[in-house]
Amino acid sequence: MSSERPKLGPDIPKAITGWNSRTGRVIYLTADRNWSESLSEACVMTGDEAQEALRFASTDQVRVSDPYFMQVTQDGLISGRETLRETIRARGPTNHPMFGKQGGDL
Amino acid sequence: MALLRHGRVGSCHRVFSETGFGECAARDVIVTLRSFLEDQTSPTPHREDVGIRLRPDDDPALLANNLDAVSLIEVEFPKYTDGRGYSIAQLLRRRYGYSGELRAVGQILRDQLLLMKRSGFDAVAFDHPDTEGVYAEAVGELSEVYQAAADGSISIFLRRRTDLSPGRLT
Amino acid sequence: MYRYDEFDEGLVRQRARQFRGQVERRLAGELPEEHFKPLRLQNGVYLQLHAYMLRVAIPYGQLDGAKLRGLAEIADRYDKRYGHFTTRQNIQFNWIRLEDMPEVLDRLADFGMHAIQTSGNCIRNVTSDPFAGAGADEVEDPRPWCEIIRQWSTFHPEFSHLPRKFKIAVSGGGHDRAAIRVHDIGLDLKRNSEGEIGFEVICGGGLGRTPHVGVTVREWISKPDLLSYLEAIMRVYNRHGRRDNKYKARIKILVNELGEAGFRKLVEEEFAAQHESEKVVLPQTEINRIEAYFAPPVFDAALPTSEIFDAARKTDKSLDRWARHNVRPHKIPGYASILVSLKPLGAPPGDATSDQMRAIADIADRYAGGDIRVAHEQDLVLTHVRLDDVPSVFAALQAAGLATANGGLITDIIACPGLDYCNLANARSISVANSIQEAFSDPNLEDLIGRLHLNISGCINACGHHHVGHIGILGVDKKGEEFYQVLFGGRADERAAIGEIAGPGLRHEDIAPALKRVVERYLVLRSSPEETFIDTLERLGQAPFREALYGAS
Repeated sequence: MSSERPKLGPDIPKAITGWNSRTGRVIYLTADRNWSESLSEACVMTGDEAQEALRFASTDQVRVSDPYFMQVTQDGLISGRETLRETIRARGPTNHPMFGKQGGDL
Repeated sequence: MALLRHGRVGSCHRVFSETGFGECAARDVIVTLRSFLEDQTSPTPHREDVGIRLRPDDDPALLANNLDAVSLIEVEFPKYTDGRGYSIAQLLRRRYGYSGELRAVGQILRDQLLLMKRSGFDAVAFDHPDTEGVYAEAVGELSEVYQAAADGSISIFLRRRTDLSPGRLT
Repeated sequence: MYRYDEFDEGLVRQRARQFRGQVERRLAGELPEEHFKPLRLQNGVYLQLHAYMLRVAIPYGQLDGAKLRGLAEIADRYDKRYGHFTTRQNIQFNWIRLEDMPEVLDRLADFGMHAIQTSGNCIRNVTSDPFAGAGADEVEDPRPWCEIIRQWSTFHPEFSHLPRKFKIAVSGGGHDRAAIRVHDIGLDLKRNSEGEIGFEVICGGGLGRTPHVGVTVREWISKPDLLSYLEAIMRVYNRHGRRDNKYKARIKILVNELGEAGFRKLVEEEFAAQHESEKVVLPQTEINRIEAYFAPPVFDAALPTSEIFDAARKTDKSLDRWARHNVRPHKIPGYASILVSLKPLGAPPGDATSDQMRAIADIADRYAGGDIRVAHEQDLVLTHVRLDDVPSVFAALQAAGLATANGGLITDIIACPGLDYCNLANARSISVANSIQEAFSDPNLEDLIGRLHLNISGCINACGHHHVGHIGILGVDKKGEEFYQVLFGGRADERAAIGEIAGPGLRHEDIAPALKRVVERYLVLRSSPEETFIDTLERLGQAPFREALYGAS
């Protein structure tokens, strides 16, 4: 059962995130259409540019699984109603500070 | 779309007819269950070489009494995750004794081929650059079975009991 | 316990190879994620919030020392040195890379384990009573039949693409410790009027979005007919279960839409229509062969009580308290079953580190004949321990940080991983569980409260079984904020009931204080110290507890 993410209007700034198909690690689409594990390198987009980027991401299956829009501010900070979820994805489980990216990871 | 029979590429000239036999000979068309059942109550029913396409919600029991007229049954898989066709196949083969061609059509992926073979499908409409090779590989991935099914395999429950030789009764 | 023979092992190895091929095709771009997903799920691989997760099957929760050490090795080599035991008696690893998955499966196969059908729309791992073979109340040990069902359901060609997942649980009769009434199929071993042992067949139970307690489809089916009868149920479900809406696709919806009588009629007609050649043939020699693996260990003729144990309890208050909650009666005098709590204060419920796994494996090998079970409460059980050895087991568990004395108490919380790990979750579960544990961390208070089952799920899918907790908690998302609904009156036993939602959700930080008020109200209202929370609730209804829940904060 796939989880459904909230719809974001065209004007809301957004980034594209997904999982590295090979490792499962959380990744973000960058401006040069590569994928980065760092949210700070995510490309912030709106409107048609964002839709076009999501179409690209959906065909980039070898590198990324299940890409979707996540809401961010113009400055690329996590925002919107999924802030907690995306913060946990970006950092790691809240109950364990050593796991996930917050702990420097693998 | 390639057609595989017993793992070999074959061909089929029949065309699917939503509207029944019309003026066509039975051997040239594939009709719906409904068309077939209507035809069987007509004054001049088709008695041999009929091809039928079953949708996943069709009841194969309705065919039980006139399977002698049928030489081809296609079972439709509208999505590869829709498993109703496997039950239809088991019923046709094991309960109603159908021995003609049983063909899976629709969205069929490589990883279903073994399940289909085990359920009694001897033909499948399936595309791949190396159709025969992929079929052979896919149906050979698991060599023993825990259940008897329409393919005649002997279950492990029975294989353990006696000195039944390895392999399958087909 | 059951040992794989050449057939079982051969298939596990072939399945690992098959999955290796599927992974290779996925990573080479030949298999899109959409098509790979059902394949990986059927082999227990999820994509969760941070990483791929692997759910390894522990059929009916049975482990031995070697298997548990093997799981510890997987945790060390491919994960972060821990694993999570689940409410379906399996174990999950949270951080395994897809590219490592084939190697992990090969290694699992080396010690007779796999991840076959631990997810996906197929027949899942069969679950059972963690005290099977030790409970004085059981009609018969259910495990041989769990194993028979495991084999029959593995790679079943007809039932690998069901409308939704399908869960079967088997209880040995007596008290239901396997929650069989909230499974798609629940089987209860029982005698018919002639004294012959067979099964009551319960169907259509389940939790999730639309919780239902199952209905009895057959009062009794004989052992030789069991698998054929299961095939009849499965076929009715596979053909008629809804496929237009995944939220209405479980068998409970079909049972509900057809009505109990209508569903029973379809199943009985299908069963009656089976030709002799369609029946599942299960030779008696094969039943005997499988049963032999579950023969009871050789028990020493011991006294019903143990001077060593009794003396130790008198001098060691911590042992005494632990024994009160975690040492369970055994059918053989002089023996006990021991509940190893995986619910220490402040840790994720059900988690065990690899060091703890090895410690339990060593203790089990030394004192319990290597017999270890996973309970659906996410604790472990050492099934057969001599009472004389209980003090030594306690000391060894203490040394490994595994002697938490809270079996069956309010801090023995069942909880799903929630939003800290799970891609489906709406709210966190672990941190709520920890806040409740902290609020009730005073052992005297917990002793005073007595038995109280508390279950937490982080979303409507109900992996934490919140509907059947005496107190259930459901995490929901309200405009981006975590809220928690509280349910009262659920139970998973032979008097299974679905809890009722008390009212509007509470904030994360308000849950523990609110539950404290509820429990204080219970302590005032109970008729005697022997009346448990659920009994008081059933006697008085939920009104006073609801009032306490929302009372002045």
